[in-house]
Amino acid sequence: MSASAISRRSILAAAGIAAAALALPACSNAKAGAVTTIRLQQGKPEVVDYFNGLIKDFEAKNPDIRVVQDFNGGNWVPGLIRDNPADVVTNAYSVTTADFAKKGIFANLADLPAASMADPKALELINSFGQYNGSELSALPFSLAAAGVIYNVDLFAQHNVKVPTTWSEFLAACQTFTAAGITPIYGTFKDSWTLGQPYGYVSGGTVDLADFFSRMPTTAADLKNNPDVSFTKDFKVATEKFLQVLGFMQKDAGSRAYTDGNAAFAKGGSAMYMQGPWALSELTTINPAIQLGTFPLPMSEDPSVTQAQVTLDMTFSIARSTPRMDAAKRFVSYLMEPAVVNAYNNKFSAFSPLKNAEKTTNEQVAGLQPFITDGKYYLNVTNYFPPAITLNNYFQTLALNKNTDAFLTTLDDSWHRVAARNA
Amino acid sequence: MTPTMTTASKVTALRPELHGPAKLDAPRPVRTRRINREGYKINWWMTSLLLVASLTILVPLYFTISMALKSPEQAASGTGFAWPTDPHWENFAQAFELTNYPAAFMSTAFITVISVLGALAASSMVAYAIVRNWDKKFFRLSYIYFLSAMFVPFPVVILPLIKQTAMFGLDNPLGVAFIHIVGGISFNSLLFIAFLRSIPVELEEAARLDGASTWQTFRKVIFPLLAPMSATVGIFAFLGSWNDFLLPQMLIADPALQTLPVVQQLFQGQFNTNYSLAFASYLMALAPTLLVYLFAQRWIMSGVMRGAVK
Repeated sequence: MSASAISRRSILAAAGIAAAALALPACSNAKAGAVTTIRLQQGKPEVVDYFNGLIKDFEAKNPDIRVVQDFNGGNWVPGLIRDNPADVVTNAYSVTTADFAKKGIFANLADLPAASMADPKALELINSFGQYNGSELSALPFSLAAAGVIYNVDLFAQHNVKVPTTWSEFLAACQTFTAAGITPIYGTFKDSWTLGQPYGYVSGGTVDLADFFSRMPTTAADLKNNPDVSFTKDFKVATEKFLQVLGFMQKDAGSRAYTDGNAAFAKGGSAMYMQGPWALSELTTINPAIQLGTFPLPMSEDPSVTQAQVTLDMTFSIARSTPRMDAAKRFVSYLMEPAVVNAYNNKFSAFSPLKNAEKTTNEQVAGLQPFITDGKYYLNVTNYFPPAITLNNYFQTLALNKNTDAFLTTLDDSWHRVAARNA
Repeated sequence: MTPTMTTASKVTALRPELHGPAKLDAPRPVRTRRINREGYKINWWMTSLLLVASLTILVPLYFTISMALKSPEQAASGTGFAWPTDPHWENFAQAFELTNYPAAFMSTAFITVISVLGALAASSMVAYAIVRNWDKKFFRLSYIYFLSAMFVPFPVVILPLIKQTAMFGLDNPLGVAFIHIVGGISFNSLLFIAFLRSIPVELEEAARLDGASTWQTFRKVIFPLLAPMSATVGIFAFLGSWNDFLLPQMLIADPALQTLPVVQQLFQGQFNTNYSLAFASYLMALAPTLLVYLFAQRWIMSGVMRGAVK
């Protein structure tokens, strides 16, 4: 009897301790003066240091704003759940980011002066994923990562191979290297995502991706009205050419990963490497002496229709709900200043998405500059796929069993499956 | 004659070593070679097997240390087995600065200390209450209730937890420690309950006769007796909270209060990994765990056994 009475008391004591623990954290972060603190959610770990430098510069020019950089990408969704998302957020813009934009998570940035400075083509890419209220601009483009075929300049010179401008020239170049006993292209299928690069090039060069995906049904209702658009119809050529490209890769590509590929290509293990600009710094780290260039993969016999592939590698958005809208807009306007945009993109082998942007001084990607300047670029095909479709796994299967029809049917089926469950 | 004989044979029977040193001398060297000081045989097959098995820890540890001392060029080239020719100690300084190590360390240590102490206190009290009130239905049901928590996969409750902790102002390290304690109650009290059942009630009755209250009985008699199991629970709680990634990543709103495992994401981009800085940072995060292991080795070994038999 008495035992239970006393244990009740100890339970109360424990409850008291818990209550005190709950009360404690309430008395923090209460100070707020003339300085507004905003939070920047920045998702690229390799540029955290660079952004700290930018923030310092911004704070020196704007003493009334303090910026805190949060590089914990996992904090974005919890922030939304807490009704306290980061004020400014960077995103590699894709269908996943667009999901947030279409739900009105981001503020409309169309009236910022920076919006009129951006290349309309880049804005069009952002808007092609869908706009909130049909007209809002949810993100400003900061960096375009243009990707093409990275090639070893010395190996090309040694074998008298010129940068190919047509599909048949490309095939001829591959055959020249094969004949000389050099692997034409280094493949790394073990990391299935790396297959998204070659597939991106062949599909972007043979299909109008933006148009195709705007016609592809995305909801159950669409699916009923518009069942005829399909990968099987439009991607057949691309997929066959993809397998043709893969045929020029080394035999053990299936057991090689991205890092293996970097090491092998940097040491002259192949003449070409189908990777984005992010691999360039890795390659020069491994072999500082290597001479690299990049060209867009020509997919036809007409050089004038060749386009470069890009990803919207970094875009800025502002949370619609932020009570610090002014400070956030000033910070984004600072980041979108041409000097800041150019310096960043030059440093990280990317391209400025601003009108009349300075040309890149980076030799390694200079081969793509004319295409960017002329607005001849398309988004990587993988950016259009929702994460519910395990595209990379399908690529890997295709690379190993070479069954074009099965691959395309799988894509159609999974696309319809995802669309059917969207209202 | 006879009595002397008897005495002599008796002595021989009782203490053979007094009479036969000459006879025993011959086989002795053989025996000392086989039997070591503490008197057990060395099983060389098993020992070599264990030595090989220990490589599974030592080889990665070697990589961690050698990578931490390499320059990015060295780290990217070769098979990785090569020892760095000119050690880059500045990797540690750089990693220290980039992760803001002191702040992250303090945050992690804060969570760990509270989690360990809280887990010990909360779970032992829960276990004591349940074991000593086993005759009451409420306590038997609460035992099942706590156990059933072990069957709820964590990702299922993560979003509601984020919302709840934010509402209570617990979106900070204290909240993470709190969830660690609460989340650990089911498993930890299961361990304590199994152990408590082996402690005789008579000990408590003696304390009661001397006028001890329930709290005093628990604090002065039971809790000290739980020490071996407390070591086990403490070690599990320490490792669980020191190494935890998901909870701090999801629950801590203020980036300045983030823990070591989370800030270390910094070295791993989607396409680029800064191996040398990453490993220098991992070593610095690993150090406290290694130290705790060195000191608590004895209890960890016995604790593993204890958890095995209920």
